[in-house]
Amino acid sequence: MVQLKQGQFMQAVGNAAEINELLRRYGVKFGIYKNGVFNEQFFPFDPIPRVITAEDFCSIEKGLVQRVNALNEFLYDIYHEKKIVRDGIVPEDFIYISKGYLAQCEGITPKNRIYSHISGIDLVQAKDGEWYILEDNLRIPSGASYPLIARELTRIAAPNAFEENNIVDNRGYAELLKETMENANCGGIRAILTPGRYNAAYFEHSYLAELTGSVLVQNDELFVEDNILYHRTYSGGKTRIGVLYRRISDEYLDPLTFLPHSLIGIPNLMEAYRSGNVGIVNAPGNGVADDKGIYYFVPKMIKYYLGEEPILKNAPTYLPFYEDDMKYVMEHLETLVIKDVAEAGGYGVVFGSDLSKEKLEEFRKTIIAEPRRFIAQEVIDFLDLPIVEGEDTVMRKADLRAFVLSGEKTKVWASGLTRFSRNPDSFVVNSSQGGGFKDTWVLSR
Amino acid sequence: MGTISLEHSDRLYWLGRYTERFFTTLKALGRVYDSMLEEKSGYQDYLACFALEDTYSDSKEFIRSFLFDDSNPNSAAFSLERAYDNGIVLREEISTDSLSFLQMAKDTLKRAEQSSNVRMSLLPLEDILYSFWGCINEHIYDDEIRNIIYIGKTIERLDMYIRLKYPFDAVEKEFVRLCKNLNRVPKGTPYRYSTKYLSELVEILGSESDYEKGGVKATQALCCLFETSEAAV
Amino acid sequence: MKQVNFYYCAKLTFDDYVHNHSFALRVIPPETETQRLLSCSLNITPYVSTQQTVDAFGNNVTSGYLKGDHRFLDFEIKGAAQVDHTKHRTDYMPCYLYQSQYTKPDDALKEFYTEIKRECTGTVADRAEYLCAALANTVVYEKGHTGTDTTAAQAFLLKRGVCQDFSHILISLLRMDGIAARYIAGLAFCDGETHSWVEFWTGDHWEGIDPANNCLVNDDYIVISQGRDFRDCAIDRGVMFGSYTKQLQLVRSILS
Repeated sequence: MVQLKQGQFMQAVGNAAEINELLRRYGVKFGIYKNGVFNEQFFPFDPIPRVITAEDFCSIEKGLVQRVNALNEFLYDIYHEKKIVRDGIVPEDFIYISKGYLAQCEGITPKNRIYSHISGIDLVQAKDGEWYILEDNLRIPSGASYPLIARELTRIAAPNAFEENNIVDNRGYAELLKETMENANCGGIRAILTPGRYNAAYFEHSYLAELTGSVLVQNDELFVEDNILYHRTYSGGKTRIGVLYRRISDEYLDPLTFLPHSLIGIPNLMEAYRSGNVGIVNAPGNGVADDKGIYYFVPKMIKYYLGEEPILKNAPTYLPFYEDDMKYVMEHLETLVIKDVAEAGGYGVVFGSDLSKEKLEEFRKTIIAEPRRFIAQEVIDFLDLPIVEGEDTVMRKADLRAFVLSGEKTKVWASGLTRFSRNPDSFVVNSSQGGGFKDTWVLSR
Repeated sequence: MGTISLEHSDRLYWLGRYTERFFTTLKALGRVYDSMLEEKSGYQDYLACFALEDTYSDSKEFIRSFLFDDSNPNSAAFSLERAYDNGIVLREEISTDSLSFLQMAKDTLKRAEQSSNVRMSLLPLEDILYSFWGCINEHIYDDEIRNIIYIGKTIERLDMYIRLKYPFDAVEKEFVRLCKNLNRVPKGTPYRYSTKYLSELVEILGSESDYEKGGVKATQALCCLFETSEAAV
Repeated sequence: MKQVNFYYCAKLTFDDYVHNHSFALRVIPPETETQRLLSCSLNITPYVSTQQTVDAFGNNVTSGYLKGDHRFLDFEIKGAAQVDHTKHRTDYMPCYLYQSQYTKPDDALKEFYTEIKRECTGTVADRAEYLCAALANTVVYEKGHTGTDTTAAQAFLLKRGVCQDFSHILISLLRMDGIAARYIAGLAFCDGETHSWVEFWTGDHWEGIDPANNCLVNDDYIVISQGRDFRDCAIDRGVMFGSYTKQLQLVRSILS
């Protein structure tokens, strides 16, 4: 990794307060509920960018394209022939106990066979410079809007940095997203479905609608008639929707197919989708491929479907389901991080080093009793990034969410969302836990 | 985009109304403030215009409440919050830029509350609001959609002017503006005027003497302007 | 082989007008190896334009959207089919091997299975019949205690239920025993309403078993829909708007 000269972004650092003020003015906020009350909270921006060299990005890009292509192949396979299970690469159990697997999606082939149109792949860089994949997000990954709007402002605040370095412009994301949506379009206008302004990511929903020229809709403005999805217009007419970038989860999408009591879904949307009359971005049922249990198998998928060696590494992972791995996990539990496959959003993650002797023993028994429920990983020694704190610069943990868009081709957005933790001891880089974000600069040479 | 839902058209209308209510309230309060420099209790007339009781201990408390107290439904702050509430769900229609002016107005109003010279620190709000309207004009390409927000704006202005007993020539000009906007609304859409109430307005606002007598009736007619009961005829 | 006539009707009545009513009906019997449709007609009132799709489980879905105000939705299906259970269906899906929403066992049901599993031996069919008989000895057929939301575990706790509950418990037991099983909604001679039973996978085809009557399925049964459990097979599902408070449903079915 190269370090830019401090001076080149000190301009931005100097203007950090103004940049944050502007970001606030443009509405860069996320909503959170505290004690049942809705609050809009500003998402703090740190002016020191994460810099990725051209060389590093080149291999990350290749690795991500490869990974997402394999994951798309996997999704098609799982909802059709299931060859990978038949050939013994992925044990059947891991597919069907996954909450993300939706039997209702069996046999549906989305347009151009693309399931994950927008993939958010979380990576970390270790101290030795090596990049590791931490997790795949193939359902509704969010966060692209933040670096997008921040870049607009840092270019104003720190023009020198952009003059003197070869930083790839990231503002083409909207165009990329639009292309991706158009590629999934089955004839009609583009729409972004939001659960409403009290959703944590509402800013992003509305901002992306504006930038892509899509209609921002809520479920009560939509209906399905004759297996076609329509937007109900104010004059009593209807406009056909050809592609729906939905920002609500699968289970809530269609009360006649999934959760019957969903109030934010569109009845019979799945029938319209199954009939090929509307594209849904991302496809329902993707959860089976970004499950913690399935993560282990992604490198194997790459070999299986593409016949290639995986370019990007997974964090070293063990599945107690396999005898050898179980043995290793039992012997090294105190140095590993254990994740409950069924849990999400930072829950069900236990660091062996945090457990007492008794607790470790107890946990070993739990794992032996339910080996399929857990995965174990080596703790990666993250490369810390500098952040500005008052007058000082301090080092904090950070990850990178890369966005991979699959349209006619699979493309990696030359930027990403770098999130950091404010707490020096924390590995959790979550916006709702007081963390912030940085811009991610990819150098063109 | 070419497609707009009933919910969004409503939002646009109320965005227009509340933004204008904020602006007119601010200007009217400026005048009250000004008159109170000599006369300490000049605010009762203002309250009377809205049939409100005087529960304020002094003019200072009145001004504070009507400018900054967002729990007072007649305050500038309240209207601005409602304008923002409507605006926030219209980002892709009105643009991030337009919306940012509402946020800026909110910030400016907040800062003014802390300022030692309130009127001075409220001055930039005028620039911000004009920028907001310029931005709206720039960013909404669809005339039909843009017209909805202007209808909200002119209805509100007319309503406020009549309540505040503005002179006839000011009211007349705004009424002519409203009629132009109303004539652009296609039949069968929600903001098509009701002929009955529009004729009533034409009658009352036709001459200065009728206007002076019929202020209350005029605001009532404005209220019912989009009633659809006659649509079937 | 047997030729049977079927008739089924349902009336949904609301106590106030409803509108923007979306519905999905699973009422048209599928064409399978074991049943061939000779005729079939579906009538829906008020008039509404409908579309046909086939869902993931192979069910015929009739969907529609009633925009204007209405107070009822009636549908009536009649037809004739040739049923032949000497032939076999082979539309297997691996998800049938795994517990689903309604069949997930609780500790009591797991314990019940553990107690009886020692004697559960032989071919898949032997085991299925054994589990079915064990269930019939433990749970009593009695109406009025369970509803459409009742899970296998809940019904097992009550020790009574109707055909839907028997099916769910048997499916749960079969799946615990490593046998893939699916829920069938259909019509049978023995019943005046819609009936439900179970199919288990022998390793190369499906066999029907009727746990509410503790017998094997014969040519007197017509399949309307199939799935992991009741949730995939609901005859009608709908979402509507209005200030109605209750929805009354009258159902009649005849197999002759």
